Amino acid sequence: MSTSAVAVHRKDKAAAALVEMCSVRLGSTLFGVPITHILEIVGSARPQPVPLAPVFVGGLVHYRGDVLTTVSLRQLLGMPPKEGPQDLLVLESSGGNFGLLVDSVGEVLTVSSADHEPNPSILDERRRALFAGAYKLKDSLMVMLDPEQLDPMRLGAVLAA
Amino acid sequence: MDELTREFLIESQEGLDRMERCMTDLEERPQDAGLIGDIFRSVHTIKGTTGFLGFKRLEKLAHAGENLLGLLRENKLTANEPIITGLLQLLDGLRLILKTIEGEDAEGEGDDTALIARLEELQQPAEAHVKKPAHAHAGGHAAKAAPPPAPPPVPVAPAAVAPASSGPVPVPAPAQPAEPVPAAASAPKEPESEAARPRTQGSAAESSLRVDVTVLNRMMNLVGELVLTRNQILQATSTDPNMTLLSRRLDMVTADLRESVMKARMQPVSNIFSKMPRIVRDLSQSLGRRVRLEVEGQDTELDKSLLEAIKDPLTHAVRNSLDHGIEPPDVRQAAGKNPEGMLKLRAAQEGSHVIIEVSDDGAGIAVEKVRQKAIERGLITPERAAHLAERELLQLIFLPGFSTASAVTNVSGRGVGMDVVRTNVEKIGGKVEIDSRTGKGTTLRLRIPLTLAIIPALIVRSVNQSFALPQGALSELVHVPPGQAATAIEWIENAPLYRLRGKLLPLVFLDRLLMPGVEHKIATERDNFIAVLDADGRRFGLVVDGLADPEEIVVKPLSAVLKDIGLFSGATVLGNADLALILDPGSIAMKTGVTMREEEASQMADSETDDGKGLEYLLVEAAGRQAAVPLTEVLRIEQLPLSRIEYIGYRPVLNFEGQLLPVEDSGGVLAAAQADPEAQIIVVVCREGNRHVGIAVSHVLDVAAGGDLFEAGTAQRTGGVTLLKNRVTGVVDLGGVAPLPAGEVVAAEWSHVGEAVV
Repeated sequence: MSTSAVAVHRKDKAAAALVEMCSVRLGSTLFGVPITHILEIVGSARPQPVPLAPVFVGGLVHYRGDVLTTVSLRQLLGMPPKEGPQDLLVLESSGGNFGLLVDSVGEVLTVSSADHEPNPSILDERRRALFAGAYKLKDSLMVMLDPEQLDPMRLGAVLAA
Repeated sequence: MDELTREFLIESQEGLDRMERCMTDLEERPQDAGLIGDIFRSVHTIKGTTGFLGFKRLEKLAHAGENLLGLLRENKLTANEPIITGLLQLLDGLRLILKTIEGEDAEGEGDDTALIARLEELQQPAEAHVKKPAHAHAGGHAAKAAPPPAPPPVPVAPAAVAPASSGPVPVPAPAQPAEPVPAAASAPKEPESEAARPRTQGSAAESSLRVDVTVLNRMMNLVGELVLTRNQILQATSTDPNMTLLSRRLDMVTADLRESVMKARMQPVSNIFSKMPRIVRDLSQSLGRRVRLEVEGQDTELDKSLLEAIKDPLTHAVRNSLDHGIEPPDVRQAAGKNPEGMLKLRAAQEGSHVIIEVSDDGAGIAVEKVRQKAIERGLITPERAAHLAERELLQLIFLPGFSTASAVTNVSGRGVGMDVVRTNVEKIGGKVEIDSRTGKGTTLRLRIPLTLAIIPALIVRSVNQSFALPQGALSELVHVPPGQAATAIEWIENAPLYRLRGKLLPLVFLDRLLMPGVEHKIATERDNFIAVLDADGRRFGLVVDGLADPEEIVVKPLSAVLKDIGLFSGATVLGNADLALILDPGSIAMKTGVTMREEEASQMADSETDDGKGLEYLLVEAAGRQAAVPLTEVLRIEQLPLSRIEYIGYRPVLNFEGQLLPVEDSGGVLAAAQADPEAQIIVVVCREGNRHVGIAVSHVLDVAAGGDLFEAGTAQRTGGVTLLKNRVTGVVDLGGVAPLPAGEVVAAEWSHVGEAVV
């Protein structure tokens, strides 16, 4: 599906920039993270819980000599915790590396920036602060996640406010 | 040449090398603020240090250069061709003088006026721009002509110049008369010739290699990783006999490698101590004090980054001592003290820490005034202030709000920037303690970890998770057997307490702390453990569900979000590849409101001032007699049924986790207990050289600092006995414990701790 999508876009909107997004599933929603910000994808990670941590913290993981704080997308969005293992994206942001826990990681899709739209106004305030708009795919929408916005340090400040 | 000058030379050479690199880039990118900033800093550093060392000629030149660079930095000028030429000439000029200094310990008598004039000329923006071509030529020639006249006096001058120019530089020499100058000193004193000079410059650097700190940091990180991997391999292979030898070897190599990498980063504290005589001298002159400086333990080594980090706090502490601690001579005389004050710098290694002390015999800090001021400034409530022990009151001067009050500084003796001192030291995992006796003096003690990265820790279990507890804060472990928790832990209302050798110890339940809002019951049906912690003199017991092996852990920083929780100082990866959070005893004490007890505080102050230097001993009783075991050698204390003791011939041995431990029973404890088959005995497991030995005792009494005893008449230090709690106590001779019969593999590895019991 992704290849045909690319072909179509190349023809129609040659000027529009193409972005490769790693698709991520959480519940029934499709999210996308730009692959340029992904350092590694770790299947079925078992993060170490941190007592007394803010609710969005999914725990700690060991990644190449560093201990990374992970953000649980489920907990961040106020969804019930998922049974069983979750996938982990190791992301790079200006504040340092961190992990993002999601239900499962899917294929890499190439989307065109022309298909991007900002967050709709009816989205609640919290989600507006966390999402970076959405891409219109042929048969669904993909919510874009910007690692900068999900950086645990920023979340700590944003959610406290 | 003294240490200070030599270091200055090396630093300046590096600065100039950097400057030169930047200069070539600057030609291509004249607007690059980063480059200009770098060049400015190089010259600025030289100027600053120069003034301090009294090299007037160098200072003048650097100053002229700095002015020009300042304008560039502020964008008032743009680096054009003539300016860059001028700066390069400045570079040459500075190099030349530095070379002369390295050769002769004096800056020589060259004339820099032409170069300085040229640099000043370049500061005129209008001229530089308008008359660019004309000036570039005239100035360029003038300046180019200027340096050449300088060299001639250099080769000719040495003999003539040295005495004359020793005038402006006498200061470093008398400031450190006692400084022994190491071998390198001979290098600059070689007979000088133009040709020999470059070689001399090299020889100062030849004996050592300067390595980029980032490389060392990376090495340290990698070693940390290796340590973790080793821990995991050791655990994974512990059951496989084929792998044992290999993993042992890996263990050893890793330990050696770690040690040498750490060593590569070590520098003697004399690097910063040697700067103090001068500061003391200058300050005491300007403040009208008479001060004698004593320095001890200069060879103590510390990680380079840590050394850098304590440089400023230490300078600050020294200033404080002179400024507010030591009184003017007349005041001292009136108080019946030696008019000459004493300032003592002491460095010593204590276990995994380096202690650096700055002590003076000045006026001390008036505790009452500290209390009043703290209340006045709203830093503490009067009720709370009334409850604080003297020692805790003193800690108030480290509060940020305290330092800004100049009035406090005047009356109390100290306070300026003490919060900065503490912040800097705590940033590197160290601690600051202060002791003060009114009228007698003040001691500021910096407790610095030997290394940032790797610390020994005990792994404890709670809420089904592992946590690392730094050994540094752990003083002992108490085992509460199943069924006894209800009686062993006593309550005053909702405050849990434990009777430790007759004294009440406040308890903190780790599970309650970590999961508030959940109903917790004390699990009486299983083991409970109390880790007795000492966080800056605040003693409390941390109740945990279980203990695991002690491990060397590699401290990994936590993200700010998690640091804000305030209980964890970092995280680490354990041998079983699990992650564990590192508990911070100080923060736990703070969070749970554990403070210091008055009597403990005073006791502590006593023991620290009176026998601060004495070794600590474990005081034990064996069959009615008291004996002392050096605490540093004690690994653990085991309480076990007598039946566990077995015999090889007449030798009692303990089979512990498959390893044999010879048990010393000179006190006859085992024999005495023979009658009762149910008897429990206590074995103190000690380190003796490479082996481990056990000592059977009937009770463990206390831990106390021992005092040295001297034989009457000869005044020679006696061996085998020490003064413990004012009683002469025999020290157990661990070396005297006979080895097990040959062929036995004696337990040399004690990486496992089961229940340690006191």
